[in-house]
Amino acid sequence: MSNDCDCGDAQDQIYEYLDAELDEETAASVRSHLQDCDGCLDSFDFERRLKLLVRKCLSEDLPESLEVKVRDLIRQERG
Amino acid sequence: MSHVWERALRAQIVGPITPGYRAELMADQANFERDALQYSRQLYSAAMRMARNPADAEDLVQETFLKAYRAYDSFQEGTNLKAWLYRILTNTYINKYRKESRRPNEVDLGDVEDLYLYRRLGSEDTAEASRTTEDRVLDGLVESDVKAAVEELPENFRMPVLLADLEGFSYKEIAEILDIPIGTVMSRLHRGRKAMQKRLWEFASQRGLLPEDAERP
Repeated sequence: MSNDCDCGDAQDQIYEYLDAELDEETAASVRSHLQDCDGCLDSFDFERRLKLLVRKCLSEDLPESLEVKVRDLIRQERG
Repeated sequence: MSHVWERALRAQIVGPITPGYRAELMADQANFERDALQYSRQLYSAAMRMARNPADAEDLVQETFLKAYRAYDSFQEGTNLKAWLYRILTNTYINKYRKESRRPNEVDLGDVEDLYLYRRLGSEDTAEASRTTEDRVLDGLVESDVKAAVEELPENFRMPVLLADLEGFSYKEIAEILDIPIGTVMSRLHRGRKAMQKRLWEFASQRGLLPEDAERP
């Protein structure tokens, strides 16, 4: 376990780490803790995979007609 | 109310329509289709999770682009076009649907422990067994489960989750889009994710993805 980042600190920063919101120094100290701690690494990996799953599941295909409708609207507006 | 949007409207109304200005305006507006429409699919995905049905989502996207187009001549080149479009989308959704909804704007979620799903799945006897359960749940949850878990979140928690997890906006951008402080973004995102995980746990249980002894209520 590294001195400047223990499990509690790492767990508190899990989302900020995965959301890329930590400054480089803090992110490095979280990373170095993850190298030494399988438990934290496992939880970070789970949250990372869940975040990817959410992103994938929420994406929709654009209805084909929608972009045509939007372009028409804009051309009407332009007059 | 969006100050960017207000400024844009004001500039549009009071701006001098000289011939030079008109030419510049038309050039700007020609760029609009090139620059803004590339975000159609992403805006539609977000609109689907807001409106929860394709017809209303299409209306939202059309209205967003029309408002954005009308205000585009006053949009500052070099500022964040994608975030600006999301701000218009979000305000359009809130203005249009909040009136119709009896759901209060500020809803609190019950107390849910941190990393809810992970902690529940990680309670197996061995790390190996826990990992097997984690894999089975992540592979076994279907798209409609995840969509429902997000759509069921109250609006003030759903928006930050959508903007962060679907779109990858930074906390600062989300604060600007939703017009709330960064600290509020972080706490709503945190609480929204926990509530979403609690719902996913329920879906996983319904789908029989959890080991027998973990299926306690």
